[in-house]
Amino acid sequence: MKKKLKVLMIDDHPMIIEGYKNTLLGENQKEYQIKIDIASNCDDAYASIVKSSETVPYDMLFVDIKLPPSSDGSITSGEDLAKHAKELLPKSKIIILTMHREDHRIHNILKNINPAGFLIKSDLTSSELLLAFNNILKGKAYYSATVNDHFRKMMTNKFSLDEKNLKILYHLSRGVKTKNLPNYVSLSLSAIEKRKNQIKEMFSIAKADDQMLLEEARKRGFI
Amino acid sequence: MYKVFFQCIATLFILTIIGCNDPNQTIESKELKSNLIQSYIDEAKNKQNSKEERRNNLEKAYGIYSTLNDNTFKVEKIQEISFQYYALKDYDKYRDMNEKALKLSISINDSLNMARSFAYLGIYHRRSELDIAYKNFYEAEKIYASLRDNNESKEIAFDHGKVLIDMARILQRTKDYSESEAVTIKAIETFIHSENERYLPLSYTNLGLITKYFEQYDKAIEFHLKAIEYAKKNNNEISQTVASYNNIGIVYKSQEKYDKAKEYFLKALSFKDFLAKNPDRYARLLDNLAHVNFLSNDMENIPELFFKAYKIRDSINNKPGIITNALHLAEYYKTLGEDSISSIYAIRARDVAIDISNNEELLNAYQILSETSDSKEGLKYAQAHIKLDDSLEKQERLFKDKFARIRFETKEIAEENQQISRENQILIIAILGLTALFLLGYIIFRQQQSNKELLFAQTQQESNEEIYRLLLNQQIKLEEGRQLEQQRMSEELHDGVLGRLFGVRLSLDGINQRANDGFTEARNKYIDELKAIEKEIRLISHDLGAETLPSDVAYIDAVENLIKDLCEVHKITFEFNNDEDIDWEGIDDQKKVNFFRILQESMQNIFKHAHADHIKINFDYVDSTINLTILDDGIGFKANKVKKGIGLKNITSRVSQMNGEVQFLSNEGSGTTVSVRVPIAAKVEEVY
Repeated sequence: MKKKLKVLMIDDHPMIIEGYKNTLLGENQKEYQIKIDIASNCDDAYASIVKSSETVPYDMLFVDIKLPPSSDGSITSGEDLAKHAKELLPKSKIIILTMHREDHRIHNILKNINPAGFLIKSDLTSSELLLAFNNILKGKAYYSATVNDHFRKMMTNKFSLDEKNLKILYHLSRGVKTKNLPNYVSLSLSAIEKRKNQIKEMFSIAKADDQMLLEEARKRGFI
Repeated sequence: MYKVFFQCIATLFILTIIGCNDPNQTIESKELKSNLIQSYIDEAKNKQNSKEERRNNLEKAYGIYSTLNDNTFKVEKIQEISFQYYALKDYDKYRDMNEKALKLSISINDSLNMARSFAYLGIYHRRSELDIAYKNFYEAEKIYASLRDNNESKEIAFDHGKVLIDMARILQRTKDYSESEAVTIKAIETFIHSENERYLPLSYTNLGLITKYFEQYDKAIEFHLKAIEYAKKNNNEISQTVASYNNIGIVYKSQEKYDKAKEYFLKALSFKDFLAKNPDRYARLLDNLAHVNFLSNDMENIPELFFKAYKIRDSINNKPGIITNALHLAEYYKTLGEDSISSIYAIRARDVAIDISNNEELLNAYQILSETSDSKEGLKYAQAHIKLDDSLEKQERLFKDKFARIRFETKEIAEENQQISRENQILIIAILGLTALFLLGYIIFRQQQSNKELLFAQTQQESNEEIYRLLLNQQIKLEEGRQLEQQRMSEELHDGVLGRLFGVRLSLDGINQRANDGFTEARNKYIDELKAIEKEIRLISHDLGAETLPSDVAYIDAVENLIKDLCEVHKITFEFNNDEDIDWEGIDDQKKVNFFRILQESMQNIFKHAHADHIKINFDYVDSTINLTILDDGIGFKANKVKKGIGLKNITSRVSQMNGEVQFLSNEGSGTTVSVRVPIAAKVEEVY
């Protein structure tokens, strides 16, 4: 008797859903009978999640981060959807699939959602997707190499930087100037300056300029 | 009697003036000439030389004098020369010299020397032409009086006094007694003011003579005694005492106080040593004494005393004395009734009087002759007497009129001069006023002109800046558009193309896992290739969208474009650095424009003058100050040698507009550095 699985795939590109389907519906049809629902925007996705929470909950959710926001504007991304899903479908496994591979975004997602699976689309092959799928079904978390890298970097440092500090470093590394940072990070300029100094102290380079700060951050794997 | 004083005054005058002249010259040739003149004059002074030699020396001195240029100096010298001619009794030369001196003084407007020259000429003329002498003295007096109005000099006062007493004496001689008295008193006051009493005896003597004519005999005697009093303080006490005693004697004689008169004549005669040297005065005293004796009927020594005096006078050919003596004798013999002897003496007196044209005595001679001659001759003499008396009266009147006229004319001239000077003043004021008006008009005109220029420059600058602002805005808009487009492309690539590509790859991969036709590996290779393509696209997308370029980049872009364009045209390499800490967006347009223009100006200078191969331009941000440094490797310039051209001036003015500093550092051969420092107000941090 094939185990029944109910999966919700959320992505705004039908081509990508097609890819997931093509991967999962090959080998796994032997073991599982997978029922796949599709949502291409936040409204549809949220509706499906709510509906399933009232009936049969999804076993697994494939969530893309970048999605057309909901019509009422309350849900703007896959991240928001995942949060709702965690509440509504506490038993569902959430797999994040995203094109974004920047450390701070990875960090945020891990921190806010702690998904069962975290896959970076650019790394992903169908075999890896399968591997992740199977592991997760067995109750093991699966993260892409990139995500694991991030973990490793975090572990080597005795401390971790919070999301805002990471954001600051990230934007600085992109060449955004300190004075423009308030546009990117929701902090005042003085607060940002304070945080920058804190980071420098943590790196034990108190009197360094931005260039040296970034070098150090790169070395320690925060960027 | 006058002549004695005459000579005396003249010599004193000369001595005083010579003493005063002390030319102090600086120019060498002048000094040389002056020394030469002085030595000639000294030689002329030397009494051991013959008169001929002395005259020659004076002529030589005059010869050198005429080559002198300094007119003030010339006046002094020619006066000195004139004194020597006076000493040589060459009076015509004396007059010529002083006339020259007067002309020179007038030409250089030297009023003191003008007064002196007038006075000297007066001295010349007082010997014969009293009216001309009076005119000269009068001119001199006027100048001295005006000089003394604003000069307290005692010396000038003394000279003034001398002129006054000369005038008084001329007036006395022409019997204008009241005028003479006034002038004498004025002279006395002036001498007292000058604190020089040398001529006070002379002045009092004159006063005494005048008061005698007014028949105020007591006063006359008092004045004569005063003259002696003042003479005691001077050297010529004896001479003055003898003269004054003689005068007092005459006063008493006029009062018919013969005893008193006799007493004073005898007193005067007691100065035997002095009289031995001055026979003329001795003879006069003797004659006077004899006359008094005769009048008082004391005939003891008469006529011996008359004869004694007459003999002395005859021997020294003292003509006025001879006349007086002869008349006294005629009078004496007439009293004795010896008319024939009396008329012999009277005729002698008449002849001499005619000879020296002494009309007073001539009148007396006619008087006696008319009485002593027989009736026919007597009538003739009486007629001559009446005629002469009339003409004398006329002459007196004439003199008085003349002098009054001189005074009036000069007053008139003075008034005329005043009128002219008033007119001149009005003219000058008018001219000055017009000039001021014209100047004012001109200044206003220039002011307006420069205001217009300023306004024009201002509007030009404003429009310049407007153009630049538009240019910059254009550039910023362009940049924004470009950025927006890039962003869009980046997102499109990332989310659209990349997503779909990923989907395709995943599908292919999924299918490939299931297919078992032996081509799995080959397909895997292409799937990997797809993955690589994805990666590349992602990188491109990242690059495109990574940096949302801040708009201030546009300004720096504009700056860099300017540098690049200019350097390309002039084939110079450049290096440009912009400190990223400079918040160009927060800096006002005015400053940005100024920096832009400074850069443009500096680069123009470099291209025009420096012959540089490479330039380096830096914008640095230190302590809220923007430092712009423009450095070239050209030939440089000497900082102090080059006067500030309009370029450097523009830079300086722009920098000072921004409260900044600018430095131009250069040395010949070692390039030029223009460094501009402009403080930027620290931006207030927003806290939220």
